[in-house]
Amino acid sequence: MFTYRLELTNSCFGSFFPHLGRGLPLRHEGSTKPSKPFDFFGSECVDLALVVAAFVLAEIDQAWDRPGQDPPYLMVHYEPSSKQGAVTMSEFPISFTLEFPYTRTPGPVIGRFLTGLRDGRILGIRSGDRILCPPMEFDPDTCETLALDFVDVGPSGTVENWTWIAEPTSKHPIQEPFAFALVKLDGADTVMTHAVKASGPEAISTGMRVTAQFREERVGAVTDVYFVPEADAEKQSIEPGEGEVEITTHTISLPYTDTLYPHSARFAQGLLDGKFIGQRTRDGTVSFPGKGYDALARVVLTEADDVELPPVGTVLSYTTIAPIQYKGQTETEPYLTAIIILDGAGQTLTPQDIRNIPTDEFRVGMRLRAVFKPAAERDIDNVDNDWMYPSIGNVVDHWESSGEPDCPLDELPESV
Amino acid sequence: MGDRCAVIGIGQTKHTDKRLDVNQTGMIRESCNRALKDANMTWKDLDAVVIGHAPDTIEGCMTPELYQAEALGMVGKPLFRVHTAGSVGGSTVIVGSKLITGGIHEKILVVGWQKMSESQSTWALSPVIPFQPALMAGAGGFFAPHIREYIRRSGAPEHIGIKVAVKDRKHALRNPFAHIHQESVCEEEIRNSPMLWDPIRFGETCPSSDGSCAMVLVSEKHADRGSAKPAWIHGTEMRSEPTIMPGRDEVNPRSGSDCAKSLYKQAGITNPRKQFDMAEVYVPFSWFEPMWLENLGFCDEGEGWKLTDEGATSMDEGGDIPWNCSGGVLSSNPIGGTGTVRFAEAALQVRGQAGDRQVDGAKLALGHAYGGGSQFFAMWIVGSEKP
Repeated sequence: MFTYRLELTNSCFGSFFPHLGRGLPLRHEGSTKPSKPFDFFGSECVDLALVVAAFVLAEIDQAWDRPGQDPPYLMVHYEPSSKQGAVTMSEFPISFTLEFPYTRTPGPVIGRFLTGLRDGRILGIRSGDRILCPPMEFDPDTCETLALDFVDVGPSGTVENWTWIAEPTSKHPIQEPFAFALVKLDGADTVMTHAVKASGPEAISTGMRVTAQFREERVGAVTDVYFVPEADAEKQSIEPGEGEVEITTHTISLPYTDTLYPHSARFAQGLLDGKFIGQRTRDGTVSFPGKGYDALARVVLTEADDVELPPVGTVLSYTTIAPIQYKGQTETEPYLTAIIILDGAGQTLTPQDIRNIPTDEFRVGMRLRAVFKPAAERDIDNVDNDWMYPSIGNVVDHWESSGEPDCPLDELPESV
Repeated sequence: MGDRCAVIGIGQTKHTDKRLDVNQTGMIRESCNRALKDANMTWKDLDAVVIGHAPDTIEGCMTPELYQAEALGMVGKPLFRVHTAGSVGGSTVIVGSKLITGGIHEKILVVGWQKMSESQSTWALSPVIPFQPALMAGAGGFFAPHIREYIRRSGAPEHIGIKVAVKDRKHALRNPFAHIHQESVCEEEIRNSPMLWDPIRFGETCPSSDGSCAMVLVSEKHADRGSAKPAWIHGTEMRSEPTIMPGRDEVNPRSGSDCAKSLYKQAGITNPRKQFDMAEVYVPFSWFEPMWLENLGFCDEGEGWKLTDEGATSMDEGGDIPWNCSGGVLSSNPIGGTGTVRFAEAALQVRGQAGDRQVDGAKLALGHAYGGGSQFFAMWIVGSEKP
């Protein structure tokens, strides 16, 4: 009845870096029965491909039964046959993953603590009459900086309380069901929250004795260690590493979903149809893309306020960008982006890629026309990239000279 | 207006590209301890702390202030965060000052910070997040077309941007806390630096810094407690506008000029160039100096670059209205703290604490910060005399 394609990626790349993250493509054809509780699509939905894709996504998410692995991340692609379908999915959830390998400098106290873990030791710090473990840099009572007076504690301790993690995610320190426990290490006066490997929730209790076990590969992180019931502990001989832990790396991921608003759906539909749909605000100017509301008059704008703008506009300004390299950067050569105001629009488009007009021919005041891709190739599902703004790679193939003379500079609107 | 509010303690870290010796909290405390020392106070004396830093994507650390309460002496006391993108360092100070002028607290600490080495700021400002306008290619890629448009409108010659960069970097040589200390800086060096986002050269951009800046703000009754005379707040103002809307002028944003007008009214400023002894203004790319000279009413529209050109804003050329004596954002840029540094520099000047960069007899100074797509503005006026 229709064709759709789901692309499965590991969440480690997500859709945020679409050029890097595509792997394991899967292809499904056919229909799927709606199932509870995913009923957020109202009766007005007409693009069944979208509905089905969403259901599949939701079902996989729900049924995911592999502890230790995040559910696969799905990107939805439509086959050409469904590209002409109406976009009325005002509640279609869109998934994103924002991710970057951040670094941390742990400082003089946590740094020493992490160095200790790497070397098979657990260090507390003296604070008045107490030994704090994990060590703190500042006295929690007086806020004063603590002297670097470290004390070895553990490796055994007592569980003060605990909770059972039945379904660990890939971010958890143990990839099978385990307990998070408050462990008061021998010699310490405060508790440390850490993971205890136990055969089941019945195998852990408050007051139980546990012992630290260090991992084979240690990197100077809190996850270099975990705890086991004292009776299960194995004797370990740890070779200390070299130098102090001064910097650590953490890949932080934020997967989240958002939804498409009705005015955005109409805007997106316009893009599929090769039209620029803006919204007329109460003072007569046209907002493109529309916001669904008039920011100055503070009223909601509806379909009745939609206006089609011609695909022709004027260059107000531009820059060439020398791409700075960072993880996920796909640009390697300088490229030109231009601020263009469409005829009849009251606001500019965000910078548009210009790859086909030489920089030395490019100028402010130039009149440009957007050349749309063939209908079958227009792509609005690349939602993680310039969703609200048509650009190369989405629906506009390129911008070309409209053949008209330049707009005199003194007639340019002052709205860059 | 409520109670008068005074700055009696100022502290900042030496801004630098990477602080390996401290963590985020340790770096913040370093500036706070210096401010407390300057104020002759301890953590225990404080009623509250207001902290500001810019988008969480810059360190990838969500709401770090939540676990900093103990380190900031706020167990059992109010600690909260302000967030207005790049202007946050300024708005944090303003929010703090309102706690004093509103009579809620008597002694508070405000601190703005960022440890930018923990991520990559161009990445952090590039993500396309659904339904939000995309900055595209970081801040430089976003602001470059605005600068080109300014140059077109004003007819400013190319060397103005270069001149601002040289001027601010030379100012920075007088400031031991500045990140960039580039003894050799000259026009040729800036001109020959790589063009990053035409017309912005590498030498005309701000660095990414690890740094923090704190101030102790108090009510009138505690104003004489500090180690130097207080800086009195004569006015504070904030304004915001959308990133993109029909008719918005991004080169000369109305929220900026409106903010300045309202601020000047509070302090009786009718001729900013004449009445201020100096101004510390958020200039992350050198061309923003002439743009903000106009936006802030130091001259007529289209005339800003002429002030720069004639040396009016340069200490080294004996200008009548020095801008960015600290070396400015072009020389130190821990984003969330960058606005705080601007505000603090204005206060240092009117307290006579600015060392080699002191403007003689400075009595009234402007501190300024902006953020987002030139859409959030925060400004204050501080003076050596009571308002």
